[in-house]
Amino acid sequence: MSVRYAVLGLISQKPRHGYETRMAFENLVGGDETWEVKPAQIYTTLDRLEEAGLVERSSDLGEGEEPSRRVYKITPLGEEALQEWFSGGVVPGHQRDEFFIKLIIGLVSGRANPERLIQTQRSLLFQEMHAATTQRDEYDPHTEMAQILLLDKSIMHLEADLRWLDMIEMRLETIKGQPLPEPQIRRRGRPRKGDKGSTYPPPDPLSDCETG
Amino acid sequence: MSIITTQNLTKIFGSGTTAVTALDHVNLSVNTGEFVAIMGPSGCGKSTLLHLIGGLDRPSNGKVIIEGTSIAEMDDDRLTELRRRRIGFVFQFFNLIPVLNAVENAALPVTLDGVKPAEAQKKAAEWLTRFGLSDRLASRPDQLSGGQQQRVAIARALAAEPSLILADEPTGNLDTRSGDEIASLMRDVAKKYGRTVIMVTHDPRVAAYADRIIFLKDGKVIDETILERKNTSNADVVSRKIKEIGD
Repeated sequence: MSVRYAVLGLISQKPRHGYETRMAFENLVGGDETWEVKPAQIYTTLDRLEEAGLVERSSDLGEGEEPSRRVYKITPLGEEALQEWFSGGVVPGHQRDEFFIKLIIGLVSGRANPERLIQTQRSLLFQEMHAATTQRDEYDPHTEMAQILLLDKSIMHLEADLRWLDMIEMRLETIKGQPLPEPQIRRRGRPRKGDKGSTYPPPDPLSDCETG
Repeated sequence: MSIITTQNLTKIFGSGTTAVTALDHVNLSVNTGEFVAIMGPSGCGKSTLLHLIGGLDRPSNGKVIIEGTSIAEMDDDRLTELRRRRIGFVFQFFNLIPVLNAVENAALPVTLDGVKPAEAQKKAAEWLTRFGLSDRLASRPDQLSGGQQQRVAIARALAAEPSLILADEPTGNLDTRSGDEIASLMRDVAKKYGRTVIMVTHDPRVAAYADRIIFLKDGKVIDETILERKNTSNADVVSRKIKEIGD
């Protein structure tokens, strides 16, 4: 959801049109390689924000030959939503890890060599780390500290992931000896006649009345 | 005696028209106990060289020979063994685990490798003491300065007693003074404790602590400078060289 709030926040800074909002977002995250947002996504987001009454649209006639553009500005309701966003923390998403899934599937299915998977992943992480380091060195600390900090974050995480790979590697034998628990399969569909939960035969509607 | 030799080491990424030659027939030899810095502009291949030496990547051509054995002849198991027991890595950030104290952090890799915690921690404490942290053994990372955290990370790399330390911009995230301390410590690791240290850095001040600086550009070794001894004027010499080489 953070693109939504980023857009709202950028509009709170000053009224902006769609294209400008998208460019401002790109500058914020350090280029579309880091976090690509398609124009359509920005316009959809703006439409939704407008529907929810968080921003309002006005027309800008454009200067000279320029066509008119829709300019968005934040509403009091939007300000409230923004404050609510600021009031909470952000839960980082480290649990959904595709490499982890790949490794475990490779291991339990016997179709991949886990040592090789780790090695391939390690090599990729190193390359990513160096790409980030190179990119960070190209930023000017006097004017672009925000972008540098974002890259620092990514380098720190990549280094942590590398350490994590070391840990997995050291414990690989242990994981190999621990088969994944198989899910308990329950019968699907309607319970059989007479089984617990079965509605057949239907309860006798008169049985309640017998005592009465 | 050389611990590492590379022979015509070449690494090409991609293929066909998009192929990029990251390393181009690099021949070098590093002696046991030597402290070598690798410098050069972005994309010169210095990181690739470090990866190949560390067995993290396979060369397209040529060889890396560590302690007499070619890495290419090692299977995945031997390579893993090499990385775990004979090479220690130091990065630019420290990645210490926040809930563990200095000794526990430094001992962790050895503990995970199956050594009893008490024994691993004894080893880790020895290294931390050598690095002037004897009174900070029980401190958690948030109670340590950046320079101290990096010293813990170096102790962690050494706890398994590897013969080779590969350091990747180890001062990248430190202020100048802490950077000097770490550079000096890396020198001690080689000179006092007999490990071989190969360090990638972009900082001439830091490189000036090394025995030898290898300059790479466009995947080739274009210059080598042997520094007689560590002194402050080295940094100026190195800076001038870097300027000559240019980006």
